Amino acid sequence: MNEIADLTIPAPKRSALNIIARHLAIFLALISAWEISCRLEWLDPLFFPYPSSILEGFWRLYITQGNIWSHLGLTMFAVIVGFTAGSVLGVGLAICVGMSDRLRRYLKPYVIVLEATPRIAIGPVIIAAFGFGWTSKTAIVMLVCFFAPFVNTLNGMISVDRDKVEMFRSMGASRIQTFSKLLLPSALPEISAGLRLAMASALGGALVAEFIASNAGLGVLITQYTGTLNMASAFVCVLTLSALGYFIFRGMEAVDRFIIFWADRDRIEAVGRKRLAAWHSRLGDRP
Amino acid sequence: MIPTMTVTKGSATDGQTAVISAQNVVKTFANGSVIAVDDANFQIKPGEFISLVGPSGCGKSTLLRMVAGLLERSSGQLAVHDRPVKGPDPSVSMMFQKPTLLDWRTAIENVLLPSEIAGRVTDSDRRKAMDLLELVGLKDFAFSFPAQLSGGMQQRVALARLLQTGADILLLDEPFGALDEFTRERLNVELMRIVSEVNATTLFVTHNIGEAIYLADRVFVMTPRPGRVAGIVEVPFERPRPPSIQQSPEFNALVSQVRHTFGENV
Amino acid sequence: MMDRLSVHLQSLFKHLIVFACVIALWEGAAAVGLVDVILLPPPHAIAGSIWDLYVENRTIYRHFTITFYEAFAGFLIGGAFGLALAVGSSLNDSFRRYVSPYAIVLNVTPGLALTPIVIAWFGFGYSSKIALGAIVCFFPIFVNTLIALSRTDGDTLEMFQSMGASKGQVFWKLRVPAALPMIFAGFKIAITTALVGAVVAEFSQATAGIGVLMQRLSFALDMSGAIAALLSMSLLGLILFTIIEIIDDRVVFWRRGSRMEAVSRRRLARWKTSAGSSSGKPIGRK
Repeated sequence: MNEIADLTIPAPKRSALNIIARHLAIFLALISAWEISCRLEWLDPLFFPYPSSILEGFWRLYITQGNIWSHLGLTMFAVIVGFTAGSVLGVGLAICVGMSDRLRRYLKPYVIVLEATPRIAIGPVIIAAFGFGWTSKTAIVMLVCFFAPFVNTLNGMISVDRDKVEMFRSMGASRIQTFSKLLLPSALPEISAGLRLAMASALGGALVAEFIASNAGLGVLITQYTGTLNMASAFVCVLTLSALGYFIFRGMEAVDRFIIFWADRDRIEAVGRKRLAAWHSRLGDRP
Repeated sequence: MIPTMTVTKGSATDGQTAVISAQNVVKTFANGSVIAVDDANFQIKPGEFISLVGPSGCGKSTLLRMVAGLLERSSGQLAVHDRPVKGPDPSVSMMFQKPTLLDWRTAIENVLLPSEIAGRVTDSDRRKAMDLLELVGLKDFAFSFPAQLSGGMQQRVALARLLQTGADILLLDEPFGALDEFTRERLNVELMRIVSEVNATTLFVTHNIGEAIYLADRVFVMTPRPGRVAGIVEVPFERPRPPSIQQSPEFNALVSQVRHTFGENV
Repeated sequence: MMDRLSVHLQSLFKHLIVFACVIALWEGAAAVGLVDVILLPPPHAIAGSIWDLYVENRTIYRHFTITFYEAFAGFLIGGAFGLALAVGSSLNDSFRRYVSPYAIVLNVTPGLALTPIVIAWFGFGYSSKIALGAIVCFFPIFVNTLIALSRTDGDTLEMFQSMGASKGQVFWKLRVPAALPMIFAGFKIAITTALVGAVVAEFSQATAGIGVLMQRLSFALDMSGAIAALLSMSLLGLILFTIIEIIDDRVVFWRRGSRMEAVSRRRLARWKTSAGSSSGKPIGRK
């Protein structure tokens, strides 16, 4: 999802403030038009709830009633635990499989079949097997978060430059050395991409699990509100998820830039300086 | 003992009007902090073959792109056919180091691309394209795709495309640089033959001194930081020339001369 | 030719052996009691359910077509929007700048979160499933197409400019064909995503479709039936994916040797009939 950076092209020579002001102006204009259209009854509040009710909903759900927090917490718990367990399992298994060419070849058809299957479809099966409640929810998230890191890690490991592998062999490196010093670092960009995909699916997975069979969580809130046609509050929940998704996305981008420092110019310089300093301090001479 | 060869800095031509002329052309980047081309002055006669030779950063590609109308000059006058250069000109045709063929078109369709861009493809255009492919020796591969052709063959298709427009000024930016030495030599011979047949004015950029001298009437020796034409070496041999001329003592003298021009300015 | 066939047969055989071993181990584990047969039914039970669904009851075909239709329709609609907005953004810088923030917001929101809202809007019936499918597959197509259209090779772009090509010519003769491989990659992701959207919408509210079938069987604790339905869903996904693969193969013909030769021959024939000139036959690499 580094592609998001590609989406936003550099603006023409205007100050950042100017750009934000323009976007803000357009946004406010749209919202005002929306509000007016609702009041004039041009728009059906089922599809387009009053922006003022949405704002009021924010205040109510977050502050006066404050009921969104507990549900948010429950959903996030499943997301974080499921994501961690699923991706660790995915990356770990992929590393094991990646070390053996033959194993990888035999697994390939099953991976292809799994890729075409909606992983989330396993939801009802898990719930039927393990009952309602947070364990099923977390299990579903875990299963959903397993696939992308697994496939990406595998891809990352096999797409290492053949020349570099030969160089390691010519230096007499052991399998573990080749793995830790070459395969793993080379695979990091792909692994990171896989983790970001998993994170995106995790949130969706938790919500779907809640839709099907749960009594608490943000997904449940959305279902309840739409059930009572309280669309404004439902929108509040969805926008909360958007904000959540945005912060998660930005966070993962930052982590990605930190770990895969050699792709970013500023990071490369920073790491270079750090290593230079470490070198000098080790040898005990002044830089 | 280096024999005296004329090394001129932007001499005026004798009588014939220049087809490309440059006065005090300068190109800077990054608000003036990088001087890619510094005060270029030259006149090029019709039918001349000019090599631009120099190391990376000497501005040869930049100069070529300014003549092509792809880059705007920072200051100075640059004219082609007595018209100031303002953008790409139909009488100027350019070829790059990468063949830049479109993978989804056959060879002949690639050669016809300039005619398509110009607006219409007539039957005579089609016949001309086929003849050009025959000229570069690829008539049997007219309907092959780039992925089915070797690097040298792809560059020959690009050469045919270069000539399709009927432009009388040809600009080539290290066209054979990515090919192996044997293919490169063969293509140089072919290029010389074609250019003579078509009687085009040619600017050829390279970092290979031997290639530069072998092909050209005059060699513009360019040095970096800032990029400038350090000197112009005249090559008095008649074109087309046999490859064996590269072993002659006169040729080697010219190579020394060019190196000497680099030496005092780099 | 026989060598290639025999190599394929050999690998197919090896895969079948591995599959048979896995099944055998699974059966063994179930029989011995290592695996809880209620939670994870043994292969023979699953095979029995497959037989029931496909041969005895034959109800699955109707569910199959319904979900297929939902997913494919969602893909077409989401794809059309995605392509249109991507092309618009590629051609017009301001459009792109103003569309981007909203596209990003759409991207970071889990599309599946909108399921109850979509159902409230479109009601019960096919439209809500198609709508959810369209919403979730819009973004992959939009972003892949936009990036593909902007990542054109700099040298080839310069070549077009040196010939005096207009912006429109550059777009249709260079950017679009060069972008096709990546656009189709987006399609492949999108169609599996559209299936997810359709199935999830079915879970929430539907009377027919593979998703609903699987859910019903699960909640009735017919685990082998549910797994059989799940496998059917895999089959559906594979079929959808393969459809796009086939179209990809035909449209992006310059990526595969055999297709290239076929197109090459066809264009040679067309040239001959129109110009009547004598041209050579296409041969391989010199």
